Amino acid sequence: MPILISEDLCVKGCTLCDQFCPGDIIYRLDPQKIPEIRYEDECWYCGSCEEYCPTDAVKIVFPQQMLHSQTSAESLFGKFPEETKGNNKAAKNF
Amino acid sequence: MTTDSKPGLILDTDVLVIGGGVAGCLAAIGASELGARVAVIDKGGLLERCGSIAAGVDQILAVAEDGPEWDTPDYLLQHIPKLTDYIVDMKSVETFIRGLPGMLRKLERLGVPFKDPSTGKYFRHRTFGLPGEYHIDFDGSKFKPKISRAVIDSNAQIFLRTMAVNLLAHKDQTVGASLFHIRTGEFHFFRAKAVVLATGDTNRLSRNSSGLAFDSWHCPYNTGDAQAMAARSGALLANMEFTENTITPKGISSQGTNSLTGLGAHFINARGERFMLKYDPAGERARRDILTSAIVSETLAGNAPIYCDCRHLPGDILARLEETLGVDRPSLPRWFKEKEIDLKKEPFEVTVSEFSSRRGGVYFRGSGILIDDKTATNVIGLFAAGDCSTVSGGISGAAVMGYEAGKQAARFSRHNGAEQRFQDQEIAAEKERLFYPCRNTDGASPREYEEKIRRVVSDYIGYQRTEEKLRKAVEELGRLRSEESALCARDYHDLMRAHEARNIREVAEMVATAALERRESRGSYSHFRVDFPNRDDANWRKMIVLKKQDSGYEVGHRAIELRNPSEGKSDAHIDQ
Repeated sequence: MPILISEDLCVKGCTLCDQFCPGDIIYRLDPQKIPEIRYEDECWYCGSCEEYCPTDAVKIVFPQQMLHSQTSAESLFGKFPEETKGNNKAAKNF
Repeated sequence: MTTDSKPGLILDTDVLVIGGGVAGCLAAIGASELGARVAVIDKGGLLERCGSIAAGVDQILAVAEDGPEWDTPDYLLQHIPKLTDYIVDMKSVETFIRGLPGMLRKLERLGVPFKDPSTGKYFRHRTFGLPGEYHIDFDGSKFKPKISRAVIDSNAQIFLRTMAVNLLAHKDQTVGASLFHIRTGEFHFFRAKAVVLATGDTNRLSRNSSGLAFDSWHCPYNTGDAQAMAARSGALLANMEFTENTITPKGISSQGTNSLTGLGAHFINARGERFMLKYDPAGERARRDILTSAIVSETLAGNAPIYCDCRHLPGDILARLEETLGVDRPSLPRWFKEKEIDLKKEPFEVTVSEFSSRRGGVYFRGSGILIDDKTATNVIGLFAAGDCSTVSGGISGAAVMGYEAGKQAARFSRHNGAEQRFQDQEIAAEKERLFYPCRNTDGASPREYEEKIRRVVSDYIGYQRTEEKLRKAVEELGRLRSEESALCARDYHDLMRAHEARNIREVAEMVATAALERRESRGSYSHFRVDFPNRDDANWRKMIVLKKQDSGYEVGHRAIELRNPSEGKSDAHIDQ
């Protein structure tokens, strides 16, 4: 879960996190209940909810992929031309 | 979930502004000042927090006419052709640059504090290869709330959590848009005499280091909605081959890292060598695309991992850096803390971000909807501004051009705007086009569909472009278009994601098509063709322009006019 909300600290009636979330991820349709994180895989991790919560009830939790990324830089560059040429790759040896 | 029980809201207005970020807000302000009836819509929940820099911003490009020789529009204009690698529309850029001094003062009057409170002066610095200290560092955490307040205080009607899906046309003229509320599913049909498109850039296009699609450098909820809508309505788009990426801490694709290089951080490779000076005499202060290019080259040369090193920076600069890092992305200081990285003591690993479609790494030239010097598109009644257009320059570009678009749209609506009536069956047909993913019960989810797009863009457009790969990208993206009709939305939020996915695919197809056409390399890794690795000014000093067809895009060229800037002459005028 990318966003943790403390039931003890969250103030009933406040809907700031719901309004501030740019991704429509935090829902507090009933201001008496704890806000619901509906679409956790769509979080930007921007931290607006945490930053603007008036009672510090919101905490962003970074997933392991963000704290300990194992992605190789090369995989972000896309397929290399020789990888996409199939049989032509062997031709380079002649 | 039902889609037909709710009555549609039908609204008539003079100017409809689609997008409530910086460009959209200034457009609403500009149109309101001329007395037009204005409606502004955004997908976000609070106008103060809509748009790319909703959470804050830490710098603005400014011409303040504050004394130095470089601090004038004329001086900056002379450097534009070279700064944009000669692919630029000088007429529209001139509107932008001549509007800068007036816009700085207008924004200050709206309550934005650009001056450093401790000195009473602008804190200016040189970055991105610009020929002067054009950037002002400032606390922009209240920037968006301040300008939004001016919109709220105007007569503009504001519709939040609202997404525009299609532009409405009558005899080649734009006469409004179809929209829906992303939570209630309420269908809106807005008739407008003029429309300003201002939905920003396109993100979620390709893979990044965390593997999380929404962890993106720029706002992941900006998905090329305007570019795709405009294309579907017959508008021309240009410069789409130039994509943009940046250097981010590995694991978090974040804004705010510009401040690092601006304030003097170094990049070092695995051997501890500071390598940037090999690539550009400006070192780490080189243009963004050159920074990315150097990091790709170092990685391919086997010199990864690459680190950002701040250890040599003096204490006051480090303190300023730590202050500004959290402004663009409030969670960034926390990320450093959780990783237990102390900038004073150790370098941290960096890598390249995902792509976005915005301005190909250079200020002033945008990748997007082709506009003229008055922000008009080729479609009558349709205007565009900000990062969705061919003039893109951060928040000042969005502000100047947005304001101009609002004024132009208001004038157009007064003199030429059509009051269009629609038949009930036309409205019903539009509603069907908008809500179709809600009626599909077992199709692809927007998430799965988007992953397919990102795979094609990452693998076959990528950093190492070739004719063979790009043909495959065009083909695959065309095939994905045929899968659109099977998109399935489980609620109205999902309906928004379904339309966003369609728009991302549309932009990706434009990028692939234009990149295939430009048979040269230009702007480092914003467009690098392995099969045409050199810049070819004799054949390619021109813009590539796209027009959507039933299948694919018609590709055209537009010559570049590099005229001398007219001495102080421009219609751009900012009412202060």
